[in-house]
Formats: sequence, C-alpha cells, structure tokens
Amino acid sequence: MRSLAEYLRLYLIIETQYIKARMQYRADFIISSIGMFFSSLATLGVFWVILGTVPNLAGWSLMEMIFIYAFYMIAISPMQILFDHAWNIRFHIQQGTFLKYYFRPLNMMFYYMSEMFDLKGLTQLAVGIALLVYASIQLHLDWTLIRVILLLITLFSAALVQISIIVAASCAAFWVTNSYPVLGLAWKLREFSPYPMSIFDGAFRFAFTYVIPIGFVAFYPSQIFLRPEQVSPLTYFSPLIGVGLFAITYWIWTKGVNSYTGTGS
Amino acid sequence: MRIYLPIARATFMVGLVYRFGFLFTIIGNVVYLGVAYYLWKSIYHYSEVIRGLTFNETFLYVGVGSAVFVLLKTYADWFIHYEIREGNIANYLTKPVDYQIYNLFANLGSLLVSLLAISIPTAIMLGLVFRVKVAFGIGLVLFPIGLFLAFLISFSIDYFIGLMGFYSESVWGLSITKEIIVTVLSGALIPLQFFPDAIQRVLYWLPFQAIYHTPLMMLTRPNQGLNVFLPMMAIQLVWAVLLFIAARLFYNQAIKVLRIAGG
Amino acid sequence: MSLIHIDNLSKDFRILNRREGLGGAFRDLFSGDYRTIEAVAGISFDIQPGEIVGYIGPNGAGKSTTIKMMTGILKPSGGIIEVNGRAPYDNRIRQAQIMGVVFGQRTQLWWDLPVIESFKILREIYKVDQKTFDRHMNMFNDLVGLGALYSQQVRTLSLGQRMLCDITASFLHNPQVVFLDEPTIGLDISIKAKIRSVIKELNSERNTTIILTTHDLGDVEALCQRIIIIDKGKILYDGDIKKVNALFGAYRTLKLQINNFNEKTIQTLTDKLCEQFGTENGITVAETEEFWTDVTIDQARTPLSDVLNFVMSNFKVDDVRILEISMENVVRKVYDGALG
Repeated sequence: MRSLAEYLRLYLIIETQYIKARMQYRADFIISSIGMFFSSLATLGVFWVILGTVPNLAGWSLMEMIFIYAFYMIAISPMQILFDHAWNIRFHIQQGTFLKYYFRPLNMMFYYMSEMFDLKGLTQLAVGIALLVYASIQLHLDWTLIRVILLLITLFSAALVQISIIVAASCAAFWVTNSYPVLGLAWKLREFSPYPMSIFDGAFRFAFTYVIPIGFVAFYPSQIFLRPEQVSPLTYFSPLIGVGLFAITYWIWTKGVNSYTGTGS
Repeated sequence: MRIYLPIARATFMVGLVYRFGFLFTIIGNVVYLGVAYYLWKSIYHYSEVIRGLTFNETFLYVGVGSAVFVLLKTYADWFIHYEIREGNIANYLTKPVDYQIYNLFANLGSLLVSLLAISIPTAIMLGLVFRVKVAFGIGLVLFPIGLFLAFLISFSIDYFIGLMGFYSESVWGLSITKEIIVTVLSGALIPLQFFPDAIQRVLYWLPFQAIYHTPLMMLTRPNQGLNVFLPMMAIQLVWAVLLFIAARLFYNQAIKVLRIAGG
Repeated sequence: MSLIHIDNLSKDFRILNRREGLGGAFRDLFSGDYRTIEAVAGISFDIQPGEIVGYIGPNGAGKSTTIKMMTGILKPSGGIIEVNGRAPYDNRIRQAQIMGVVFGQRTQLWWDLPVIESFKILREIYKVDQKTFDRHMNMFNDLVGLGALYSQQVRTLSLGQRMLCDITASFLHNPQVVFLDEPTIGLDISIKAKIRSVIKELNSERNTTIILTTHDLGDVEALCQRIIIIDKGKILYDGDIKKVNALFGAYRTLKLQINNFNEKTIQTLTDKLCEQFGTENGITVAETEEFWTDVTIDQARTPLSDVLNFVMSNFKVDDVRILEISMENVVRKVYDGALG
C-alpha cells in the first residue's frame, strides 16, 4: 500500500512530464490561457454588472460580493486544474478505454485524474487571488496569522466541496450512457455559488446547504472573514463538510468502478 | 434531401434512447430556472425597473434564455474534433455527402430532441409555476424564423471552429474560448440591456447577439413591432448567410490541408 | 500450486431489452424490461507458471469476461477463481503488482510522453529497483531496439512500434502473468513475427506465464503449447495444441467467383468434385456471399492444389482467394465433436 507521500511524489513525477509534453502545443496553450483569462474576466464582469444595478444584494455590498466571488474563483480552481479528467469519464467508458485504469497497482481515481492537469486553470487561480487581494484591501480586512491559516483551511475545504460535486456527477457515466446532462447541471449550479444563500428560501436553501452544498464553496466560508460576528455555527463545519463530501464522492466512485463491466464480451 | 433526413432522424433517436440523460436535461433546466428566479427576485428587491426591464421581463428573458441556450447549443465543433481524433474523417469525405450539410442535419436531429426535452417543461414551469406573464405580439410569430436563423449562425460558427481542427491537433482551447465569448456577448447570460450603452451599440452589429438576444426579444417582448424586429432579423439573415458561406469556403481550404497531411 | 486456479466459474449480466423504431424508443424511456445473459457458464481449468496458453473462441464466447475476472475487474457470479493464491476481485491493487496487461487496440502508455518517460513512470508505479530496471531496459533494447524509440512520443509511433513498447512495458516489473489481448492485430507479417519472437523470448527469460487471447491463429500456432477454446460461456477444448493444429492446418477454404454463376452451379460443382475425387473427398461447397462460392477442403483427404487445378480446368473462374479456416469454423467443428 502506498502512503500519501509516495502518491504525492508519483503525482509530481507524472505531472512534470505531462506539462512538459503539453507545452509543446504552444498555440493551444496560449489560446487556452488567454481564453480562460478572458472568460474569468467575462463572468466576473457579468457578475459585477448585475450587482452594479442594485445598492446591495440581500444586505451584501458590492465589494463584499466581489470578495465572495474571488473566494469562489480560487475555490473552484483545484477542481479545474486537478480533476479536469472527470469530464472524459463518459468517453472512456463508452469506448472501452476505461479498462486500462484497473490494471495498475494504483488507486484508480488517482491514476485516472493524474492523466490530466489543466494548465489554463492556473490563470483562473491567478485572477481569483488578485481579486481577493483587491477586495480585501477595499474592505479594509484585517489579516492576522490565524485568519490567514483559517483562509487556507476554508479554501481547501471549499475546493473539496466543488471537487466532490463535479466528480460525483461525472460518476453517472458508470451507470448511464447519456450522462452529460448530470455533469452539465452540476457545472451550471456552480455559477450560483458566489451568491448569498439568503436570497434563497425554503427548499432551495435547504438543497444548496445540505444536498448539493454549493453554499459551502464560497458563501458560507466567506462569512468567517466578512461578517465574523454574524457567523452561524454551520460555517465552522466547513472543513468537515469538504472532507465528508469527498468521502461520499469517493464511495460513489468506488461503486461505479466496481459496477463497470466494460463493453464487449 | 432524401439522404439527409435519416441522419437527422438518427441523432433524434439517439437523444431519446438515452432516457436518463433526457430526463436529467429536463430536471437540470427546471432547477436552473428555480435558482434564476430567486436570484433575480432579490435583485429586483430594490426597484421595479432596472435598465428598462421589469422583473417579469428579465426573468422571462433568463428563463426562456436558458431553454433557448440549450436549443442553440450545437456541438458541431466537438463532433468534428472527435471525428478527427478518432480518424473517422476519411469516412465522411469519401461518401457522396456534403460535409457541411451532413453536419447541419445531424445537429438538427439533436435540436429536435432538445426542443422536446427543454421547451415544453420550461414553458410549463414559466407559465404555471412562476406565473410569468407573456405578452402577445408579432414577435411570437417571427420567433420560429428567428430561432432557425439563430441556429444557422450558431451552427456555422461551431462548424467553422470544428474545421480548425483540420489544421491543428489541439483546438480545445479555441472551442472553450469561443463558447465563453459567444455566451457572454450574445445576451445568453443576462439581457444585453444590462451592459453599458457603448458596449451595447457595438454588440448590436456582431453576430453573437443575433444568436440569443434577437430570438429572446421576440419571445419576451413580442409587441415591439416590425420596425424593431425586421432590422434584427435582417442582421440575423446577413450573418447567417455570411457565416454559412464563409464556413463553406473555409471547408474547401481546410480539406486541402487534410488531404496533404493524410487522413 | 497452480498460478491460476478456476473452478466452476460463472458470470451473468442483465441487459435491457430495447424495442425497435421511433415508437419503441419512446416506450423504452419508461420500460424496465431486462433479460439475463450467462456470459460464462461454469468453466474450470488450472494454469501453471511458465505456460503460454491461447484462450480462443468466437466473439461473444465469454473470453473477455473470463479475462476480466482473472484480472480483477469483474466479480464472478459463482465459482472460484484464484490468481497466485488470491481472488483477483478482492485484491486488485495487490494483484496488479504481479500482472501485466496488453491490449492490442489501445496503449497503456502515456500518449503524449516520450517512450522512456512512460517506462520511468512505470518504474515508479511498480517500485522496480534501479538495477532491475536497467537490466530489463537493456534486454528490451537488445530484443527490439527500444533505445532508438526512447525520445519519441508514444503518439508518433507506428502501430508495430507501439505494440513492442506496450509488450515490453508489461514485462518491466517482472510480473508472474501477462495477459495479451490481440497483440498482433492490424500488423504486417514481419512485425507479427517479431512480436511473436519477443513474446517467446520474454516468456523463457523469466518463466512468465502468458495468457493470449487472439483471433489470429498464426499467433496461436507460433506461441502456444496449450489452448483453451471457449464458446457460449463453456469450455469446448482444453489441451495440447497439436491436436487442434491438425484440425486448423489441414483445412483451407477456396473462394471462387465462377463465371455464369447460376442456381445449378453449386450442385454441378459438388457432383463433379465427387466424380473426380470420390465421395469421401472431405470437400464441401456452399455459396456464402453473392456470386462467391466457398469450397472448404480437408487437406488430409484431398490436396488443395489438386482441387484448384481441377476447378480451374473445368470452370471459368473469374477470381480466386485462398483462406485458412476461420475461428468460427474451427469452433463449430470442435463443437460438433471433431476433437472427440
């Protein structure tokens, strides 16, 4: 059995090679990065435009919303960068090429996900970080060492939440042929992560907090830094939720992997 | 025509056969509508009218927009990328079919599936659940034409991007970039009225808004009268024709590259 | 102890019954009508270390299903399966360490990376020590000239080169058993010969057990001492290849395009062949595709060349093809008890 450290080392080796190989596609790398940059700006722009039309949204000022949006951008980056291969599960399964992942003495999710490393996601991460710094300054936030550590922990957990949602949705491919709509839905939902949960009521708020917890991708964790005095107990569960959700997703993955029979006889 | 109809039928059936996906597409759209409803309701909390649009109008726009978005989502570029990667392109080129028309009809089949999966539930949701009011007007009559023209534009752009794959191995980046640009600039995410005026003026002339904004306006504000819609449709028509021909010409160029490089 | 021990192994699948046409597609949206397929219906055999076993059968016979159970992908529905003393399904990662797998169709290497990098990554994955790694890489270089390919990306390799890389890679970590699925598919004769000799060499070097699934009888004849024939989920034959070889080797199919073919041609041809060669000639005549006549000849009884000469002299023949017996026909004959 491999230790975490061994897996990390293996990951580094594989990705170094992968990135080297991808860099050869200069044009695609540049276009993708530029495209990602503009797409990040564009979606941010739309967000800004919408919010700019109102004095505040459910009590949250524009700059606070920008902070949350920045948090969101950083939180969804690990999913983009490290788990991008999830989108292709349905192709591998349909074509029967998914079989090869069973044959190595490696954890299958690790092996599968390590095959892709999305460089352009780094652009999104960079924009997110820049935006967070900007918003922090504008909001005159006070960054003590403890708060920075808390920030890293909550970001880590939020990233896990996003990863879990998307990977779980992509697992539909194990059972269903046309599984794209599931992934499509999970992906569309993420758009709403940076909005305050307070705009929802009843069933939706419940769903987004407890069922498909996009609320924990950006909104709830951000409250720790923006409105520390108003923080509900829920928010402090953030790190646990990330890990817990990932455990559930991993369970779904395992079930999927075990049920896959491959095409042909 | 005889050759191409079965192709459309085939993709239509493929869409149905995968029943789970079909169901989920419907659910996905319904959920999206719900979320959009809450979001815009809270935005409109402070004023009745924003940028010239009421809540009803904006929500109708976004709601219908999400349906139309799915409808007009042609996967022409991804389909071609896939065929290139698999090395199947040669199959199509050796057959006596026009590649562009072939792709068009294949996408049409998918369009029909989407129509079923999306439009009906959306219409029900908007009309009955959210009680959105729809005005009547000439726009509703023009909508099918507007939609078809929009489809042609969207298809031609995607097809064009797909053909790029003949030149370069890895054009994913281009596809995704195109998607973002089209989505944002076309009014698919938010009504173009929300953009600053200067930007709006530029966007009016680009083909992107002809894809979403024009047909959406026909549905959500159908009583604006012919003097508003006809110029919009004219722009649509011009772009549809231009892009379709441009894609055709590009195909002739691209196919040479493919023949030289080998299948 | 056998390396692979299989006893009364079985595997069932549930398949949705689909209906035809547009209306059927609509109704399928709501139906839940399934049927059960017995892909593997109680098979047993043991494989010892060092054997090269050909595992063959027509498409749909249950070959891949058995292999998937041996490699730990599928869980058996019933019976026992042990590889190196352990049930593969419950010990996937551990079993993977002692196994090698090669698919003819798809590579297991990293598509965009140079060949040597794939091998280096495999070294890390399988925890191969440096000495063994170097020794094996040298061996591979001697065997197939791997060194010349080190810096090439896997995606730029020809099919033959890629197969050689995949095969050698599967032996890198000294597995106890290697599963080869269609290793020579789509390759030309000289590469096929090369690959077969490499496989033989690697097997003798390390006494690695090899399980070969293929439709290419040339592979089987060149490599296997033992073959197992499976059809419809059951084992039809498990034993020495020589017996079956006699069956394969002896049969040839002569495909003829006879001029002025009409409904009487088959009968006329059969009669004339009986006249010439006697009634126990071991020749069967049938029309298989439009205008093509198949003359299947048991060479143990009548030589191909005699039949060919006779037909060419007595009939106007526009085109001729000579084929070895197909896998389907072999299995059919075995099923009909040809091996007794």
